[in-house]
Amino acid sequence: MDSMVRNPDVKQRDAAQAVVVAVSSDAIFDPEVEQVHGATEPLRKGDAFSFMKAIQVVNERLLTLNSDETLLFDVILLSNDSEEKHSRIIASAKHYGLDIGRFCFCNKEDSIESLQSNEVKLFLSMDTNDVCKALQKGVPAALLYHQTDPNHQTEDQLKVVFSGDVIGSSEEMLHGLREQGFTETQLQGFKTAKGSVKEFAILMGEMRRRFGLEGSPLCTGLMTVWSSRDVCASALKTLRGWGLLVDEAFCLAGAPRSPILNLGFIGNTMKSSTYVKEGRDYSMYYGLEV
Amino acid sequence: RTNMSEIKPTDPAATNAGEEKDWAAAKAFFDSLKTRKPRPPKPQYAVTIAVSSRTLFNMVAERKIYEEEGVEKYVTFQQEHENEPLMPGVAFPLVKALMTVNSRLRQLYPDSEELFDIVLMTNNHAQVGVRLINSINHYDLTIERFCMTGGKSPIGYLKAYMTNLYLSKDGEKVTEAIEEGIAAATMFASGDVENQLSDTQLKVAFDGDAVLFSDESEIIVKQHGLDTFFEHEKEFENKPLAQGPLKCFLEALGKLQRKFYAKNERMTCPIRTYLVTARSAASSGARVLKTLRSWGLEIDEALFLAGAPKGPLLQKIRPHIFFDDQMFHIEGAKELGTIAAHVPYGIGQKYHKGELIEQPVKDKK
Repeated sequence: MDSMVRNPDVKQRDAAQAVVVAVSSDAIFDPEVEQVHGATEPLRKGDAFSFMKAIQVVNERLLTLNSDETLLFDVILLSNDSEEKHSRIIASAKHYGLDIGRFCFCNKEDSIESLQSNEVKLFLSMDTNDVCKALQKGVPAALLYHQTDPNHQTEDQLKVVFSGDVIGSSEEMLHGLREQGFTETQLQGFKTAKGSVKEFAILMGEMRRRFGLEGSPLCTGLMTVWSSRDVCASALKTLRGWGLLVDEAFCLAGAPRSPILNLGFIGNTMKSSTYVKEGRDYSMYYGLEV
Repeated sequence: RTNMSEIKPTDPAATNAGEEKDWAAAKAFFDSLKTRKPRPPKPQYAVTIAVSSRTLFNMVAERKIYEEEGVEKYVTFQQEHENEPLMPGVAFPLVKALMTVNSRLRQLYPDSEELFDIVLMTNNHAQVGVRLINSINHYDLTIERFCMTGGKSPIGYLKAYMTNLYLSKDGEKVTEAIEEGIAAATMFASGDVENQLSDTQLKVAFDGDAVLFSDESEIIVKQHGLDTFFEHEKEFENKPLAQGPLKCFLEALGKLQRKFYAKNERMTCPIRTYLVTARSAASSGARVLKTLRSWGLEIDEALFLAGAPKGPLLQKIRPHIFFDDQMFHIEGAKELGTIAAHVPYGIGQKYHKGELIEQPVKDKK
């Protein structure tokens, strides 16, 4: 059982045409340790707060290119908070001017069902367990990363990074992994993840094509953490087949992933080396914990 | 400014649980491959060399399209030709030599992670990546790690990949890397030398001042002249020079060399290092040798030219790469077919702006 509340301050999107994305409220607003009864001031910003700003920039740019655009991000805030906190969440969203279309309040156990019934194209959380549980049930889900390198100035950009290990996987590769001791559950997890990411990848491909190679507010990438360059090449071609031409590709072959994912970027183009305006990159990493 | 020695963690064994899982998964994956291709080493223990796409492969024609017709036409062109392997570039012989050293090391130390780790570091768009991967496959290069930044600067990633040496055709990027404390050099094409280079021994040649050592002595030459320089070097013979941008790379090479010596393979060691300096053995050379000794570093051959041109000597040595801070010497090396790499560091850069003002150091006996 969930309760869906429309946000009166935000123009409702056509959910059938939009990219419906559910975001955990704990990512957007700081989950407070102490419950202060009756508190009314806006909640503090969470670690992935500015991710919402990045989504907003993408939507604004899409509408600038075409005021009738329907392929926009449509955000549902998913909250497992107690009832007394609901109005505070809604008020905080209004206070910060967040582009949240709907609020979905439900119990933790019912979250997956809510995601499925609202035809969410992607569920985002900073909690690895929540992401894994959703993926196991076939709900496309991804981990939100907050990039916090204070030494770098970055461009306002939303970065979506796909897992090359999942997308580039093949029967032959999985068979080899079975021999190395990977469990059937893990291997099935790959197949499920690969299937569930396809639709979101197709949508990202379409959205990315609205912008040119340079200066896009949406940046797409591929990261292969532990498999080989051939798996990465296979993933690049698979994504191409789905209509997504990723901008960036990283192949780590077992090297640590967090320095890459947590990197703030210098806004450079190939032509000049001048530093572009301030901002932050927020990425969604669609992956699977092995 | 990062110290070069901070590139790798001081305690390589101290990785977190997440990193260990990724590493274990990579190990399992590569062990599962039927082709039995060698697994890339654990970065914390390896000597990581990042090469750009234009140094690894010859992309002169493609670069022209990028400069004259723009990035979209360039990417389309690369996609249309992605099944045509690119021709080898200026860093290709070096990469082959690194691979040779790795196979020798793997024979002697099958379980060691102390190997060369070759990373492709490019700001190319990922769609160009397919052609790059196809080309790597064509030559069977052991490059499993790469970073294609889609137009963004790769400098931040150099640290993320724990790079010990970065090679590029782009002088601006190289300068930025050096400013970030990463050993780096700009590579220059030299014509068809590949056939003449050794395929059993990696040879690396270094200039001394402002490459292995700081530019402190070069400043004296430029600002006070040679006589002052000679007096100064004699007076401070026993005071070690400060380190230069490539010192840590020489150190890393030495560490790998000692692994061969430990197995009684000194005579057949597949790594050989050279110091090629304009200093003179009789006067200013002693300080250099004493500095190396104080650092616990060995160099296989120290060649003091006393101001003679470096080109002919390098032609005899035939290194896979020669590092120098002065474009005058880079040009001289190139003219006679040596693969030269410019290290944009120190006072020597102020004396090269399209004009060769530098005068060879002459020894006065």
